[in-house]
Amino acid sequence: MKIEVTSQMTGNVWKVVVAKGEQVEEDQEILILESMKMEIPVVSPDDGTIIELKVEEGDFVSEGDVIAILEED
Amino acid sequence: MTKQVVEEQNELKQKIDKLLEKKEKYREMGGQKYIDAQHEKNKLTARERINLLLDEGSFKEMGILAHHQNLHPTMEGKFTPADGVVAGRGTIDGREVCVAAHDYTVLAGAIGKVAETKVARVREWSLKNRVPMIWLVDSAGVRVQESIGSLFAGNGRQFFDQVQMSGVVPLICALMGPGIAGTAYLPALADFVPMVKKTSYMALGGPHLVRSVVGEDVDEQTLGGSRVHTQESGVADLEVKSDEECLKVIKKYLSYFPSNNEQKPPIKEGVERAEITINERLAEIVPTNPKKIYNMYDVIKELSDDNDILAMKPKWAKNIITAFGRVGGYPVGFIANQPMHLGGALDGDAADKAARFMNICDSFNIPLVFLQDIPGFIVGSKVEKAGIIRHGAKMLHMVSEATVPKITIIIRKAYGAGYFVMNGRQFDPDYIAAWPTAEISVMGAEGASSILYHKQIRKAEDSKAAWSEYADQFRNLIDVEVAASNMLIDDVIDPRETKLQIFDAVASAWNKKVERPWKKNSIRPV
Repeated sequence: MKIEVTSQMTGNVWKVVVAKGEQVEEDQEILILESMKMEIPVVSPDDGTIIELKVEEGDFVSEGDVIAILEED
Repeated sequence: MTKQVVEEQNELKQKIDKLLEKKEKYREMGGQKYIDAQHEKNKLTARERINLLLDEGSFKEMGILAHHQNLHPTMEGKFTPADGVVAGRGTIDGREVCVAAHDYTVLAGAIGKVAETKVARVREWSLKNRVPMIWLVDSAGVRVQESIGSLFAGNGRQFFDQVQMSGVVPLICALMGPGIAGTAYLPALADFVPMVKKTSYMALGGPHLVRSVVGEDVDEQTLGGSRVHTQESGVADLEVKSDEECLKVIKKYLSYFPSNNEQKPPIKEGVERAEITINERLAEIVPTNPKKIYNMYDVIKELSDDNDILAMKPKWAKNIITAFGRVGGYPVGFIANQPMHLGGALDGDAADKAARFMNICDSFNIPLVFLQDIPGFIVGSKVEKAGIIRHGAKMLHMVSEATVPKITIIIRKAYGAGYFVMNGRQFDPDYIAAWPTAEISVMGAEGASSILYHKQIRKAEDSKAAWSEYADQFRNLIDVEVAASNMLIDDVIDPRETKLQIFDAVASAWNKKVERPWKKNSIRPV
């Protein structure tokens, strides 16, 4: 099943931690946002593979934006 | 012996043999074909589940001879051993419990009239004897053939009963297969709802009904699988990977609970105060740079015996953590802000989650430990429209109502109403202490200075620089020792000693008694 990974909050993408095609575990950091004066990670909701990354470092994302697509294991 | 006596004895023996044979047949449930089908789906049968759940040999079945009595043509010739639900009593870790497990091998575990009478009997036992009630749900819902037309007028009593039991005995409802239609309200009214990944789902209307009524084409898992209910709806508490794990987690959950609301929860023996020593890790987890965040679970694990906790709803409203643990053997419920999600700010779901957890702990005499690092409630038109005021009020209401021992440790931020709902000083904490890193304030320095000095900032040549300067001034006023010297908190503590501080407070307040004015009900925000 394909899962859309969304940003919980509005902020700037400070660092993208994983690459497209990478295998991730549940709760693994996908990227780190800078928001509310803090560095806040967006984590994977499940075990699976990142089949698409929708943002780059420096991008601005709003709450609810899809930042990656995960193919569930 | 006379011939007559011998004949009578033989007759009795035959009756006994016949009875035992019938029981044996009923124990085989829906038959090997359906048992195999159940196993192929990675599901255990109702009997296998009960055997794994209860202490070995402790199960006392009630109603094995039950069978449907329906005369409707669609039920003619249908064989329903135990009427599709295995029910009775037994023990878990030596303590009595009641259990009812739907048997999917018998007409897909659909609930008939006789089956319901059986479960009612077990519910009655649970309430009268004040022992926990456990449902293992694997059922296609009500057996429609038996509730045809307006005979349905007699259905629904299980939910009424469940509400009478709520808060008296722990109610656990595990989803280990489908739980459709009315069956979906069993978990909704229970205290603890684990769901098995991939094999369980719950929905008020199953895919067939959804397709025919609203025209939506959706599969079971997308409609109400464990992902939906543990991450999006918040109806379930925990996603588990297998039936075995599900049964194990039920036992673990119960280990924190008394059998009923008139008892204290069991204290685990063998932990000495002297064993709770200075923990250097606690001083290392929380970064001094306020931009850096940390995982609050790491703090909670350091505070809990053997680093072992049981988190409730860990994948839903992740900005707040609700978890059972033990501090020096005493069971406690931790409520902690999670800076990793939304910076730990509270939204409606988080408030619901925390209020419910407080409700459960308070009902069963489990002390509450609040760990604060909260920038406040989320603001803005979106959350206002979603009713954040009434959701936040649930936390205020519950934290004020709770009479169990309540301990508060302020780790970093304690801003605004967030500080209140996390058991601030005016909400009757038995002990409230802060780490030297604590920042108690009406709000953050930036927000506060933009309100206090908005005219000066607007008039300034460089308004950004002015704002920053006023914010720095305000920040200097945020000092935890000011709160301590005004006796607004009990102490500022060495973070490394936090576990000992919590232990001492819980142990001293263990027999706390608070009496409130009589009332029938509070008017609880919903």
